[in-house]
Amino acid sequence: MRPDLHYRTPLIVALAVLLFFSVLSLGLKQSPVLKEVQGSVVAITAPVLQALESLGRRGRDLWLGYFYLVGARQENLQLHRSLEEYRQKEIQFQEAQQALTRLEALLALKRQVALPVIGARVIAYDSSLWSRCALIDQGKAQGVKTELPVLAPEGIVGRVVEAYPQYSKVMLIVDRKSGADAMVQRSRVRGILQGQGGNRCSLDFVPKSADVQVGDLVLASGLTGIYPKGLLFGKVTKADKKSPGVFQEIEVTPAVDLSALEEVLVIKVANLSLSEP
Amino acid sequence: MIAAFFAYGFLALAIFYLQNLAFFPQMHLRLLALLLFYLGLRPSLALALALAVALGVLQDSFAITPFGLHLGSTLLVVGVARLFNQRLPQQRFGLQAAACLLAMVLQEVFLQTSLITLGYAGGLAWGQLYHHAVEILLTAVLGPLMCLLVLGLERFLGRYGWRPRSQQPDFYQPLA
Repeated sequence: MRPDLHYRTPLIVALAVLLFFSVLSLGLKQSPVLKEVQGSVVAITAPVLQALESLGRRGRDLWLGYFYLVGARQENLQLHRSLEEYRQKEIQFQEAQQALTRLEALLALKRQVALPVIGARVIAYDSSLWSRCALIDQGKAQGVKTELPVLAPEGIVGRVVEAYPQYSKVMLIVDRKSGADAMVQRSRVRGILQGQGGNRCSLDFVPKSADVQVGDLVLASGLTGIYPKGLLFGKVTKADKKSPGVFQEIEVTPAVDLSALEEVLVIKVANLSLSEP
Repeated sequence: MIAAFFAYGFLALAIFYLQNLAFFPQMHLRLLALLLFYLGLRPSLALALALAVALGVLQDSFAITPFGLHLGSTLLVVGVARLFNQRLPQQRFGLQAAACLLAMVLQEVFLQTSLITLGYAGGLAWGQLYHHAVEILLTAVLGPLMCLLVLGLERFLGRYGWRPRSQQPDFYQPLA
């Protein structure tokens, strides 16, 4: 082995460890340089994702609206030509109907919230299983700022944690770092809704004497100032009073299917309360 | 090396986009880790390290975990691959997949312990552990395919004159 190669491996290992710790410490200090790097990487890679997502959506529409029917028509071409045309129209109609229903629900939510909102489309999800966030196609240029709440027609999705010029990163309520003051609608018992990763949350710090039952709805209490009061987080799916300690073990399943988000609303003004539901 | 970096970089980006469109957030196959592992088995360490840094930064940019965490995990995968670099015969796909499985398990342990140390996350529930284990196993099963992909791209680049530095012939041999 050449003498200059003798120290190569330890040197590379040392450099790699040094690089990791330097970047991690800068990351923990919320270094603006790293935020710039992060923003640039997202700005470079997200447009392709956005285009592919849009292309995929169109492809799916085309598949459902045409190719799928070509396959069916080939089977029954001679007997069912007129029926196929009708089906094609029907599927297009159903697609339009579904889009209309989604957008109507979003519009109803916009009216219900009665706050300035921005409509956004989810274009990507977190590539890591260790955090739960989504990327939306609205950013600083459209007025999105950090800490703004994000909603779907079914309930609360999460909050904006990073805003880039054209995109924003939304921390979902199931993320382990997500925490919010919440209350049980029926008994008005309050607790902290804590993300647990995967697709679940827990309602922490609820005493064993408090009245919480499976099926109870969990709402934002409006106290943390991020989520408007009265909006739905989810439903209690487990309430265990036999667990050790002074608090109950309560599992909450989000009202929104956070794995299948399409359109969301970003409320432009945080720290405002809705009327009591 | 720059051409190879871009070629493998584009392949990694394609995998990243494909996963984002088809699998996320329901399923997180560790395909980028798989790519890095098989690249780490190849002679060019510089290429594997450069790609590990780029992919670590890419994953960190799309996540909300502390920046640098995924960078550390990608470097770890390359490191484990280098440990096996001289020990694994090229055609022993089974052994390679087993080594890859070990690398990915170490990566998960590293990520989980780092997150707990940084106060980001508590322990995993059994359901989540099971989910992670299935995803890692599925990823390891895809190892031979990734190996062929990496070798194929290397052969393709070789046609245009690229060779890993350690494979380049040493023309200057004064004592030969």
